[in-house]
Amino acid sequence: MGNPTLQASGKISSSWESTPGKNSGALSSTAAESAAGPPEEVLASASLMSGTLESLSGLGDDCSSLGSDSEINGPVRRTDKYGFLGGAQYSESSEAEIAVAVARQREMKWLDMFRNWDKWISRRFQKVKMRCRKGIPCSLRSKAWQLLSNSQELLDSNPGKFEELEQEQGDPKWLDIIEKDLHRQFPFHEMFAARGGHGQQDLYRILKAYTVYRPDEGYCQAQAPVAAVLLMHMPAEQAFWCLVQICEKYLPGYYSAGLEAIQLDGEIFFSLLRRVCPMAYRHLKKFKIDPILYMTEWFMCIFSRTLPWSCVLHVWDMFFCEGVKIVFRVGLVLLKQMLGSVDKLRELQGMYETMERLRNIPPECIREDVLVQEVVSLSVTEALIERECSVQVRKWRVSRGVLTHQPSRRLHGTRAIFEITGSRHLPRVSYHLVCTVLSPNAETGSIYYLAFFFFCFLEDGYLMDEISYIISSQFCCTECHGVHRPLAPSVPVQPHNPPLSITQKLPQPEYLNKTVLWREKHGGDNNLSLSVLEDLFIHCTVDC
Amino acid sequence: MNMGTDLAYNFVFKVVLIGESGVGKSNLLSRFTKNEFNHDSRTTIGVEFSTRSIQVDSITIKAQIWDTAGLERYRAITSAYYRGAVGALLVYDITKHLTYENVERWLKELYDHADPHIVVMLVGNKSDLGNVRTVPTEEAKVFAEAKGLLFMETSALESTNVESAFLEVLTAIHKKVASKEVTRGSISAVTLGQTLGPSSEFKEERRSCCNSS
Repeated sequence: MGNPTLQASGKISSSWESTPGKNSGALSSTAAESAAGPPEEVLASASLMSGTLESLSGLGDDCSSLGSDSEINGPVRRTDKYGFLGGAQYSESSEAEIAVAVARQREMKWLDMFRNWDKWISRRFQKVKMRCRKGIPCSLRSKAWQLLSNSQELLDSNPGKFEELEQEQGDPKWLDIIEKDLHRQFPFHEMFAARGGHGQQDLYRILKAYTVYRPDEGYCQAQAPVAAVLLMHMPAEQAFWCLVQICEKYLPGYYSAGLEAIQLDGEIFFSLLRRVCPMAYRHLKKFKIDPILYMTEWFMCIFSRTLPWSCVLHVWDMFFCEGVKIVFRVGLVLLKQMLGSVDKLRELQGMYETMERLRNIPPECIREDVLVQEVVSLSVTEALIERECSVQVRKWRVSRGVLTHQPSRRLHGTRAIFEITGSRHLPRVSYHLVCTVLSPNAETGSIYYLAFFFFCFLEDGYLMDEISYIISSQFCCTECHGVHRPLAPSVPVQPHNPPLSITQKLPQPEYLNKTVLWREKHGGDNNLSLSVLEDLFIHCTVDC
Repeated sequence: MNMGTDLAYNFVFKVVLIGESGVGKSNLLSRFTKNEFNHDSRTTIGVEFSTRSIQVDSITIKAQIWDTAGLERYRAITSAYYRGAVGALLVYDITKHLTYENVERWLKELYDHADPHIVVMLVGNKSDLGNVRTVPTEEAKVFAEAKGLLFMETSALESTNVESAFLEVLTAIHKKVASKEVTRGSISAVTLGQTLGPSSEFKEERRSCCNSS
């Protein structure tokens, strides 16, 4: 294709503040595309499992562990590589394995990060984020989660506390409900299959300990699957402190009485959906399907009951690093996949049919590589979530009165947690992506040129890491709701020359101006109105 | 087991399962709609549901059964759950007296959120554990009668009376709507609203579709 001359139709916004300048456009969401069942006899034997109904509140003098499933039922039952004996989240062995050399290399990189954790978080956080997005090596996941969530430090600064909590009686009202739930978490996982087995015992210990640690919070059923996932990776005491971080830093209020936080997030989620996938939004609105009817289990259990297991772990890797934003993104991507086209909606012309689809997510929507790619390229940022949160809080107060939950308590991932830990000072690094629409080519008529001007505000000379994941994003026209994929960058990204290293200090502030010209073909009307562009802009502010 | 075909039903009745955590709501649901029972069925978080079509007189009814978490904490998010429900099964565990004592509270919640004409059945589940029963059948029966509720004891484990319980509730609902005009073969989600019958409900759905596009 030719390279017609470009003329700017408006000014480039030179502001690095969050208010969008005039004549600026932006990019937004994605669209795209892209598969399990255990052998019958395994399922049958798993469901016939029943141990005794002994109460665990009185373990008796001999507190010996009753052992794992394989000790009780013999080593005959085979699990998948994650420990599942069967059930919907059982993984077939057909997954491709990484070459040993590659796996080793990734492990070495992570070990290096562990050794210098503070430095990595304060100066190379983008790299940490990138690596979490790639997925943490299984062998190091446990340690990584504890470092990302800062639960390791919490444990170290509370020696003996967990034991102390365990020794308390606990409120019988909570203990009764916890006991009822022990055999109802991942019953197809070999760690939790045996009644009274060590998995269920540990689950009891940490859920009980939490109710003692936070008596006014008590117990909420969704904490059990979250705790179970943690226990699959680390011993009880470590899992306990990790659970504490999730309940207090990442998802505060999710498990509290009144469930205000989850309802609020439901409203935020729905209104983000309107921007990200108007078609899905309209459909759910039409059939009066409240967010609370489908996102409750997704959000409260952090997708641990929804996705194939490798996806769950990958999502949790990103979640620990970046916070609730990942949960929002996964939910939005799922809805877009399931309800984002006329074809898909054709068979779902009813509330029940739609809800059935939301509960039985087609396998192609949850392929790990596709899902992660979609999540990573969705431009829903912390800032956007917080902005929408203020809007929804206002609405709540008007229509429902008092809101006891404080949304500002939520921390968006590792960096935020580190920042409030006080002793560390972290420099601010912000990126702003600004777009402008250049005039359409007179000859071909329907071609738009969008210039993405990327400003990087550097403080203290810290180098910004890769931006390739931003460039891979697509945008959605809010007029015709068409989704456009960049054909190719017509000018390659010019890195700063010479390349900056982290030891090099720049006089501050300095702006790196990277220009990427994309050619977009817009099939509809030639004239995108300015208001449409300003609306699009909001999608492209990139968080740090 | 004939679950009925989607194309052939005349009515859709939404029925909700309510009651304390652990009484067996999820297994009643799976037993009725899929003929399955699981000792270790997962804790319900959020909303679960399933459907099954049955014949009542010569009408095919699609029962849409909704199940939710029984825990106190989840009461905060139930109004969407009750919307449009025409029947409810209020379940307690015959071996746990406390779950029966809390029935009054559930009734109150039900009448606070659901249609006042909703058909309610009190269900004493786990009747297979009769040797450790703590709630006498007669007592519960009398209570149900006094409150105008249907009553049955069931065992989702042994499949006892599960069909009958749902059938009785669905038949009772059908009786209530039978007097209203029915368009044979049309799909209508039924609510026990004042004067509007099923066909009007359908029209109302249409209107909001056009507006929102």
